[in-house]
Amino acid sequence: MNISFSLLADQFLLNFSYLWLIIIATTIGIIIGAMPGFGSANTIIMLLPFTLAVDVDVAMIFMVSLFVASHMGGGITSILLNIPGNGGSAATCLDGYPMARKGLGQQALVLSFVASTVGGMVTALMSIFLLPYIARLAYYMHSVEMVVILLFGITLIASVASDNMLKGLIAGFLGLLIGAIGADHIYSTPRGTFGFIELYDGVPLIAVLIGVFAISEALIMMEQSSVLSEAGMQMMKRSGWKETWEGVVMSFQRTWHMIWTGIIGLIIGIVPGAGASIAAFVAYQQSRLFSKTPEKYGTGIPEGVIAPESANNGCASGDLIPLLVIGVPGGTTAAVMLIVMTYHGVQLGPRLFIQNPGLGYGVFITMLVAYAVMLFTTLPLTRWVSKLVMIPTPVLAPIIIAFTLVGAFAPRAYMFDLWLTLLFGAIGYLCRRSGYNVVALLIGVILGPMLEANVMRALRISGNDPWVFFSSPVGNILWAALAFSLAIPSIVQWRRRRAAARAAIV
Amino acid sequence: MNDERKAKVATGPDWIIPALGAAFAAYYLYSINDLAWEAKVSGVFCAVMLFLLILIFALRTVVGLVRGTHYVEWRSLWESHHLALVRGALFGLTVTSVAIIPFAGFTLSTFLFLFFAFLWLQRMSRKNAALTAGALALGGYILFILILRTAFPTGPFERLVTALTGL
Repeated sequence: MNISFSLLADQFLLNFSYLWLIIIATTIGIIIGAMPGFGSANTIIMLLPFTLAVDVDVAMIFMVSLFVASHMGGGITSILLNIPGNGGSAATCLDGYPMARKGLGQQALVLSFVASTVGGMVTALMSIFLLPYIARLAYYMHSVEMVVILLFGITLIASVASDNMLKGLIAGFLGLLIGAIGADHIYSTPRGTFGFIELYDGVPLIAVLIGVFAISEALIMMEQSSVLSEAGMQMMKRSGWKETWEGVVMSFQRTWHMIWTGIIGLIIGIVPGAGASIAAFVAYQQSRLFSKTPEKYGTGIPEGVIAPESANNGCASGDLIPLLVIGVPGGTTAAVMLIVMTYHGVQLGPRLFIQNPGLGYGVFITMLVAYAVMLFTTLPLTRWVSKLVMIPTPVLAPIIIAFTLVGAFAPRAYMFDLWLTLLFGAIGYLCRRSGYNVVALLIGVILGPMLEANVMRALRISGNDPWVFFSSPVGNILWAALAFSLAIPSIVQWRRRRAAARAAIV
Repeated sequence: MNDERKAKVATGPDWIIPALGAAFAAYYLYSINDLAWEAKVSGVFCAVMLFLLILIFALRTVVGLVRGTHYVEWRSLWESHHLALVRGALFGLTVTSVAIIPFAGFTLSTFLFLFFAFLWLQRMSRKNAALTAGALALGGYILFILILRTAFPTGPFERLVTALTGL
């Protein structure tokens, strides 16, 4: 995996010669990223006739640009409407939406775009130079380690997303159980399907996402005539270019924050299957943990937007590393890219960097160029896009319902999925009105099938020995980290109480 | 009395999700009863964990009610009579629009849904509601059906456009 300056320069020039294609791909990517149900994988599948017909270099430039743009676009609806475009932007809702309600939607969008760009660019650069070393991380992650990581993810999200951890865990484990609906991975026997053949492949994630977020949010938002508070509406009416600049300043005052949360995303993204949803929440939790004002998280603070967005985009680089280095796709879009590259006769794995190093490293150069392009195209838009929240809720809510239902139908084209979305909409409404965080429920549903697949694999390999889950040194370290992460909020709280009591005595 | 209530924890609506969760977990366990051990181990783990968490929640609530730190209150579920009506109308319209999609197709059902929602919820004039709903439904048709080729059931509008233009 030798890397030279001339190789990188060649790739930069190649990317600049296809700047028009990058602009088209990033525009499509941002739009579909912001629309729940229209993920980058589906779009690349729809555009397969194009990617299969052109040269592999051009196909990769198009796919990678679209992929990173969809990661960036997911934050738009999270911030403005409390509806994440994809699982990776679910954590952005926690502080992004409260910022929008206060009339700081424009600044929140800028924070999201700048954090995505910095997180994405830093991790793409790191990937170029550290590719051979960080790729080894994937070799240490087997089914046992994955089980712990996934449990780690769900407990983390339960503690981060809810005021009441017990309610967060109930929502998370209910989500995991819903995720276990469908035929099992070994015997293909249906479980918990209520006799519906449409559920044999499991519960469609998009139906859950749109139901618990979009439909329930549309019902909740009817309690006020506007998403914005009174003061927020006044601020939005007065907003201009100054607010965009304010957002840029806010972002670069937190440059280090963007970098280290992006690196968290990169590391988690390398683990095949872990994904952006976990990365964003881990980054959010770590950001809160090291903050001097953790109590402000969830009320609409810049760090709460920066951390998940930077990690979400850092994860995009991480997702592609196992694909290129060991030929294992880190996510669905990477799997589609694998198909396209295989069609073009590209051999993935270590051979790629010997036979066609330009293509291997070119992926990350494309990311750098795409992020730079997106920053210049998206920042001016924030002034106009943020006005979306000024639409009265009796108009906005029906539009949200009408167009997100299309997203629920599109992936499988089953009418059943629309009814399922409405059911999850009702469940989401009940969750929101009774203090159960819908984010924990959604992440549970996303992680459920992964947890099951890894539990089964670990048991198969060990001959059904349950002690296998404590047999790996890396796994045991992760178990200890899991126990530590559960204990640390109580310890920190106890220390703060003690310090406050001491201060009161003095 | 009100200040006293504010210091207490309201309970009641927060029992619906645990109740639904427990019912689903029981059904799930029943549905996997005859399967091989490997096919049910993960589901059993999740169901048992869910039961345990619900049990802890139940104990906490019962202890809270006995000690007087919790009180039962259901109103937060619908807030006010007016809001319950508005939400009911919006959800009812949504259900109706999904039910008519197989006959009316995407464009017409979206138009009707948006038209009546704007008319009833925003109190728009008929003309404005029709124009706004029409523009949005048409935009949706162009983006989702013509460009993204979403395979929605076709209705009179889609069939008419196809017959006239061949699109």
